[in-house]
Amino acid sequence: MIEVHALTKRYGDFTAVRELSFTVQPGEVLGLVGPNGAGKTTSLRCIAGIIPASSGTARIAGHEVATEPVAAKRALAFFPDEPRLFDYLTVRQHLNFVARIYGVADHEAIAQPLLDELEIADKADQLPGELSRGMKQKLAIACGLLHGPRVMFFDEPLTGLDPLGIRRMKDSILKRARDGAAIVLSSHLLHLLEEVCSHVLILKQGEKIAHGTLAEVTAQFAQGETGVSLEEIFIRATGGTEH
Amino acid sequence: MLGALLYLRLTSLKNLLLSRVRRLKQPKYLVGAIVGIGYFYLMFFRRFGAMSSRPRPSGLSLAALPVLDLTAVFATIGALALLVIAAFAWALPSDKPGLAFTEAEVAFLFSAPISRRWLIHFKVLGAQLRILLSALFFTLISSQWSFLGGNALMHAVGWWVLLSALNLHLTGAALTISRLVEGGVSTTRRRVLVAGLVGAVIVGTVAMTWQSAPAFTPRDRAGPGAILAYVARLIDTGVLHWLLWPGKLLVGPFLASGAGAFFRALGPALLLLAAHYFWVVRSETSFEEASIALAEKRAARVARIRSGNFQLGTAKPKARREPFHLRGRGRPELAFLWKNLLSTRPYFHWRVWLVTAGLIAWGVTWGGRQDPSGLFAGIVATFAALFAGYTLLIGPQLARQDLRGDLSNTDILKTYPLAGWQLLLGQLLTPIAILTGLLWLALLAAALALAARGGTISWLTPGFRPTAGLCLALTVPPLVTLQLLVPNAAALVFPAWFQATRQRGGGIDLMGQRLIFGVGQMLTMVLALVPAVLVAGALVFLTQWLIGLPAAVVLATLVVLAILVGEIWCGLWWLGGRFEKLDLSAELRP
Ligand SMILES: Nc1ncnc2c1ncn2[C@@H]1O[C@H](COP(=O)(O)OP(=O)(O)OP(=O)(O)O)[C@@H](O)[C@H]1O
Ligand SMILES: [Mg+2]
Repeated sequence: MIEVHALTKRYGDFTAVRELSFTVQPGEVLGLVGPNGAGKTTSLRCIAGIIPASSGTARIAGHEVATEPVAAKRALAFFPDEPRLFDYLTVRQHLNFVARIYGVADHEAIAQPLLDELEIADKADQLPGELSRGMKQKLAIACGLLHGPRVMFFDEPLTGLDPLGIRRMKDSILKRARDGAAIVLSSHLLHLLEEVCSHVLILKQGEKIAHGTLAEVTAQFAQGETGVSLEEIFIRATGGTEH
Repeated sequence: MLGALLYLRLTSLKNLLLSRVRRLKQPKYLVGAIVGIGYFYLMFFRRFGAMSSRPRPSGLSLAALPVLDLTAVFATIGALALLVIAAFAWALPSDKPGLAFTEAEVAFLFSAPISRRWLIHFKVLGAQLRILLSALFFTLISSQWSFLGGNALMHAVGWWVLLSALNLHLTGAALTISRLVEGGVSTTRRRVLVAGLVGAVIVGTVAMTWQSAPAFTPRDRAGPGAILAYVARLIDTGVLHWLLWPGKLLVGPFLASGAGAFFRALGPALLLLAAHYFWVVRSETSFEEASIALAEKRAARVARIRSGNFQLGTAKPKARREPFHLRGRGRPELAFLWKNLLSTRPYFHWRVWLVTAGLIAWGVTWGGRQDPSGLFAGIVATFAALFAGYTLLIGPQLARQDLRGDLSNTDILKTYPLAGWQLLLGQLLTPIAILTGLLWLALLAAALALAARGGTISWLTPGFRPTAGLCLALTVPPLVTLQLLVPNAAALVFPAWFQATRQRGGGIDLMGQRLIFGVGQMLTMVLALVPAVLVAGALVFLTQWLIGLPAAVVLATLVVLAILVGEIWCGLWWLGGRFEKLDLSAELRP
């Protein structure tokens, strides 16, 4: 579903992401973790075709992002860390607009349950300027889910959501994975990732330092101990000073 | 405490200057800076130099009347201007004026253990930087005012005194109004009070002059300077004489004719300034809440300017009904038309266009019938032509409901399953529609006016007229599209530059860039039009003998359309590719 091979992104002399490779199968949720500035956002932006990679390839649902961007993008949804919305469109008009872009014919029938699920149905006729940050995020998510993407990229999807919102978000990510979507999400909330992700990939300074199922990565850094949390693993893997 | 606040100001300034200088390493900014400096030099310094070396022959010839003491006249007028500003400063502010802080300042300073008085200090001293720069700038401008005595240094100090006093007064007024509001004086009451005072002063002054106005002698009619002096004398009576007195003190140093007069005027002006400072710093009112609201408003405005949504026909965000029903299936480009129309004003609606067209048609034909001389029709035709020219040239800079308004959403736009050219075309549709509509209305007016005028232009026979008008109307949309492609291309190719020019002010490099920008637009247009015009001219010339003028024009129009559409397609295709490769975050790094 998502196949990334030797992906590299350079800004001038600075290499933000170096030779990154991984695959995500349908039904899998990959958690992308790493310290600030590790290159998580950059990787996601490259894979989703928002910025061109310097070298390497990324394939989404069998389509190479660099050469068949339109086909690849039809299958994916990208949720940036800051919700990006149009100032002049109400919640409902956002969904209407996105539906036309993706050619979703019966969008009203899909939009209403989405709005209900995200609990912004009562804000349907308000502008983004009148919404709180968490609601904006929910709207951005509703827009991305409208066309039923099979591949999803979430950059810090949980920041700004209330506890209930986080729970709902988790549930809806898991539900979409069960329905066969391939999902990559980056987050610093490791205890939440533990509940959602099937796989973890740890990035540090643009390089992959660990990748595998949650159990594999834990085993790699647990040094024989049991019941080590992902947080502890993260700190050991990235060479934090604690411990 | 003051140390920390000053440190904040000074390091901010230093970093701003540093980033400006570092930006010059990029060739496009360097070129901009060179052009800007050249322009600045030509505009101000050369004249400045020329003025000091030899007397100016013309200019404001007020000084040609040596008998008059123009300094006093200008002191009166300047003081009156200050008084008007002061009146507005007291009347205009809404219920909570507050002091203007940025959002970052609000976040850092308001929660810090800093007393109100220090915050006010910070505000007042922080403003000095801008005031100093403005004083320099105004000195350059006023260097061309030939009636001034003194030298540049005195003018600079004079401007500084004036601007500082104004700033302090506005700040003091804002603080005092906050206090009044707290004390229960409503905005309406305050405004009524100020209006009442102003009215009383006006009535009093008029009454005074009515009774004891000095006669308007021929000497007072001798020239503009004399008339001005007479008016100044009329104003400077009664209560107003006393009200103008502080203002006169403030403009004194600026208008001083020589060093002696300057120093004599400086003393009182500085005293007045000090009194203001004392007043402001002593006003300890709670301005924080209002300032926070103000900071938010300002940040929103800046964001709007940056994203380009600040110009012609852009409304305040407000939930609106859709311009038309957008179904889920169909060309995705139309979705952008739908979206961007939502950001314009409601009167950009086809019903309004139709009604306007009807009104124009009725008005022009009716007017033409009333005025058989053809004068009315001539005026209408001229105005319509002028309007059309302006719309074609300036319109693309004003109607920016396209990619330029959406640059901040680039990331999300790029996740859409659309080719770059599709997205660009979709984004362009709204300004194309608006400008085409305006141009068609102008064309309609001109065509009807010419029809009413009858056979004044021999080759424009009644039979040929509809053909010519229709052909012209057909070329309007591609022309507008080409015009719009240029600024959008600039926004895509030079995002940093474009983003920067969205902000007002800016450095000398930005001024140069704006100049290059304008010239570039013209040049591109000419280049794009040359092939079409040449081919069309040749075709009409060659074929009109064979198939007659109307047919030749139609043929030429078709060819022109083909050429323009081809050019547009190339432009869209190329720019679409640029858009797909654009990484805004990389471009906008300092
Ligand atoms: N446009 C750019 N030009 C130059 N360097 C960049 C650019 N964008 C990102 N970087 C650099 O690339 C590195 C990775 O940034 P990225 O935003 O991907 O980090 P991140 O892992 O998402 O961090 P965070 O956890 O803070 O979100 C950082 O060092 C950043 O400074
Ligand atoms: Mg990030």
